Amino acid sequence: MTTTTGLPSAEVTRPRTVLVGTMFASAASFMAFVGVVLVYISERAQARTDGVEWFADGAVELGPAGFVFATLILSIFTVQWAVQAVNAGDRTNALVALALSGLFGAAVFNQLWFIMNDSGFALSASNSEFMFFVVLGTFVVFMIAAVGFVTLTFLRALIGQFGPRKADAVAAAAFYWNTVVAMYAIAWYVIFVTK
Amino acid sequence: MTMTESPPANDTASAGPAPVVAGLYDALTTTDHKSIGRLWLRAGMVLLVGAVVLGVLLGFERVDSESTDLFGGDNAFFQVWALYRLGLALLVAAPLFIGIATVVVPMQVGSTNIAFPRAAHAAVWAFIIGAGITIAAVLANGGWGAVDRVSNQEREAIALSIVGLAMVVLSLLLASICIATTVVSMRVKGMTLLRVPLFAWSMLVATSVWLLTLPVLLANMLVAYVDIHNGPGGFGGDLSGDLGAYAQIAWVVEQPQVYAFAIPVLGVLGSIVPVAAGVRAARHGLSMGLIGAFGLLSVGAWAQPFFQPTNDAVVRYDEKFVFIAFGLAAILPVLGALGGAADSLVRGRGVQGVPPAHLLGALGGGLLLLAGTAAGVARVIEPFELGDRVTVAGVMNLVLFAAVASAIGAIWFWSPKVCGHELSPVAGRGAVMLVVLGGLVVGASQVINGFFETTNNPLVAPTEDAGDALNVVALVGMIVIALGAVGALATLLNAMRTGGAGTADDPWGGQTLEWSTVTPPPPGNFAEAPALVTSEAPLLDVSSDEGEES
Repeated sequence: MTTTTGLPSAEVTRPRTVLVGTMFASAASFMAFVGVVLVYISERAQARTDGVEWFADGAVELGPAGFVFATLILSIFTVQWAVQAVNAGDRTNALVALALSGLFGAAVFNQLWFIMNDSGFALSASNSEFMFFVVLGTFVVFMIAAVGFVTLTFLRALIGQFGPRKADAVAAAAFYWNTVVAMYAIAWYVIFVTK
Repeated sequence: MTMTESPPANDTASAGPAPVVAGLYDALTTTDHKSIGRLWLRAGMVLLVGAVVLGVLLGFERVDSESTDLFGGDNAFFQVWALYRLGLALLVAAPLFIGIATVVVPMQVGSTNIAFPRAAHAAVWAFIIGAGITIAAVLANGGWGAVDRVSNQEREAIALSIVGLAMVVLSLLLASICIATTVVSMRVKGMTLLRVPLFAWSMLVATSVWLLTLPVLLANMLVAYVDIHNGPGGFGGDLSGDLGAYAQIAWVVEQPQVYAFAIPVLGVLGSIVPVAAGVRAARHGLSMGLIGAFGLLSVGAWAQPFFQPTNDAVVRYDEKFVFIAFGLAAILPVLGALGGAADSLVRGRGVQGVPPAHLLGALGGGLLLLAGTAAGVARVIEPFELGDRVTVAGVMNLVLFAAVASAIGAIWFWSPKVCGHELSPVAGRGAVMLVVLGGLVVGASQVINGFFETTNNPLVAPTEDAGDALNVVALVGMIVIALGAVGALATLLNAMRTGGAGTADDPWGGQTLEWSTVTPPPPGNFAEAPALVTSEAPLLDVSSDEGEES
């Protein structure tokens, strides 16, 4: 048997695989969302080049979308609160922070449902309305994934799987959540601000 | 608890050669990275044979498209053509490298298993199912690129083919996450990122590029899928116009994105040639930089027509400075990597007798990639006007068959760890030489054919006699590749089934950690904890230390 016995054995290290893997997954998710948004921007540019109106005046309002963004910004603080609490060994605060994050996620679904209904758009009506639904629908898919990740983390925290020496999964959930918030920031600017 | 946390099983350390396939139960339940990698390899090799058979049929059709109708009409012909192109990249090249990496990379970095082994296992089965759905949907007249008006039934099949391909892409992404995470976070103590073996590094670069670009392909397919069902019809759902959904996703097999599937070719080159030459590779950091640069230049999700307004007043994407610069610069890292390989061969002991299959595969893959990137340079030189010519397909074939040749060489090189014993050197040499030779003939004939104004659209016949003649040459090349692919598949499947004769733990004089364990590797990979790594070639450090002591 050939082994590398001429040198001292390496120490066993505890890899942060969940966090690193989540970072790669977050990058992939972000690029998928950016891909959809770029199709939106491309189509809108084409429409404007052709002199076609993209959205009718007042069809897409900034106010409700701003509330979604504000909710998501608040949720950044709560997920980071959870990370901080787990690192400090404060299980109660971690559970409260994760539960609040999930609650904010539910609020975002509610608000997005309102925005989509309030727009009065139809998927097949025009390119602009089609892309409006595709971009927001894609965001909802990633938001569901983020809420699922936080919920799973909450349940694992509830049974005491995390602590100061084992906080990777909480940090990973927070990283993915923040990535999804960044996605919405892009959608908010592209769809609701620049219309 | 996962295999990662299981202690190495010492009692298997002295196990002799044995069949490495433990049946269907193992295939369905394993969390050992070597078994998972073998599943990827089997699937990739079977699909390779399928792809080249399609290539041969397409070649016959293209030689005489007016009197030959193998597929039952232009629509089906175009769909099979699109399946061949996308399949060679997504169903063959990427899975082969993922399979090799899934087996080898954890051992190279001194890990007991791959990161997220259950996810890696789920990925390979999602790939197999997704590939099956994709092929079935195309056979049901639902491929991408319906070029005439189709019925509602076919519309459903086209949607199904998009679902199948999306499943394939998702599985590749999941496997990529597992491999990249293994390299980043599961390296043994002392192995800094700059000491990672070149193949593992090339897989980190490749999977990173795939993770940043293939999701954009998913986004394209999502838009096309929704459009087919309920959309206004301008996003790939309008099946009566242009090339349908194919126009949305063709960028993935065109430069620069197609180069991304060949990034590991440079890693295979950098890992195999120094071992074959018996020297420590010079300038490891520079080699890593060249691979990284090639990865950067192969990011091509931005270069798709769909992101460009179609108004004539707007400059086309392939006429833009960045696209041209990427095309011109991509050849430089390949030249640098081949220069490093040549330096190793010159400094080393040289090749005694007939070169082994793995060296032929590594060098042949590298030279094909050089030819592919050189053709890519010609493709972006504006006066040649090759943007819509068959030269585009020539670049794709050269690059992807470079990946295939390199992957076959890598399988033969790491066969003691993959299959538990060495594969037949004669079969390996034959398979590699046929694929390299055939790939060169196919690619070069198509590149040259572009200068005779033969278009990339297979439905348009060549306008000159020379174009027809070159189509015949391309068909011959594809038949040669098919022979090599069948030989490689038969040898590999037979070896995995029978186990074969015994072999040394390190038959080549390897330099990296995978050669420090027994053959076949036990569960957990290492009977003892790997040594503290102090350079990019830890086994050379050990042998030099032992030499000094004696």
